[in-house]
Amino acid sequence: MSAEHSSLVPSFVVFQVGTRRVALPRDAVAELIASPVLFKFPHTTPLVTGVALRRGRILPVLDLGPAVMGTASVAARFFLVVERRIENRSERCAIPVHGECELVAGIMIPPAGTEEFVSGCLDLNGELINVLDLEKAIAAGVRRDEASVATEEALP
Amino acid sequence: MTPLASPNATQRDPRRREQVAVFSVGGYRFVISAESVQEIRSTDSLGGTVVDLERPVMQKVRHIVERDGRSYYVVSGCEHFHLSASRPTTVLILRGAPVAVLVDRIEEMAEMRLLLELPLSFRGEERNWYRGLTVLDRNVLPVTNPRGFLTGAELLRLEEENPGLLEAAASGRYERERA
Repeated sequence: MSAEHSSLVPSFVVFQVGTRRVALPRDAVAELIASPVLFKFPHTTPLVTGVALRRGRILPVLDLGPAVMGTASVAARFFLVVERRIENRSERCAIPVHGECELVAGIMIPPAGTEEFVSGCLDLNGELINVLDLEKAIAAGVRRDEASVATEEALP
Repeated sequence: MTPLASPNATQRDPRRREQVAVFSVGGYRFVISAESVQEIRSTDSLGGTVVDLERPVMQKVRHIVERDGRSYYVVSGCEHFHLSASRPTTVLILRGAPVAVLVDRIEEMAEMRLLLELPLSFRGEERNWYRGLTVLDRNVLPVTNPRGFLTGAELLRLEEENPGLLEAAASGRYERERA
């Protein structure tokens, strides 16, 4: 592939949430950091597990486990710092990831499954990797989290 | 950088320094501006009359305490923050509102030099509970909003369901009883 061609091919960060490998567009990821100190305090927002302090910036830590795996993630060694758009402002958040992260170039193809938070697929040597729509994944995780809380509350 | 809670403030501006009390509830530490606290008392030495609410419309408020001719709704800190039951030993009597907050203990008095905005990812009740976040001794702590322990709407609801009780408690018309 020529340099000119490769610059036109979009790149993605492939990472692992729990046991599932997923990807985000490279542009959505700011950096990968080693597990920072997690500060916790009471709150009621689903998926947010705490905050991390990074270069004078507060990073809310968002667990994508409930969306991607259906359960909360276990402790992670690395965090992806991603950029979100909330109320017309950008905010950086940290997402716990497991295993290795890869930067890959590829063409996104239509999603194979029906998960609403998957915007497409990457074919990596025969392995199909779902590319997440981050905001939809967060919204799906919030719904699942709230549903599980409602189920727990309904139990006698 | 995370935006400062007040857009006019600069991060190390000495004029923005604020004396705060660090208190704990249910194993978590919180910060409250010293200016917003009128008195800090142990539950043993509080004295005054304690009146049960006739109609406790919210779990976190079950009593009124009368002290020096004024009365206050007593807010359970652990119920407010949805934490498991703890053993409160201290009462924060807030200034400018008929609110007293039960907390486990005061950890320290400190100087807060930085008030950072609560990230927008936080969407729940905590937007009301906290003014923002601060960093003390390399720990990130939430800075409580004194008006968040009982909002105007909650105060109104308590008054509507228990009409005149706050004033009656203040006037000492209720028999003294210990909580």
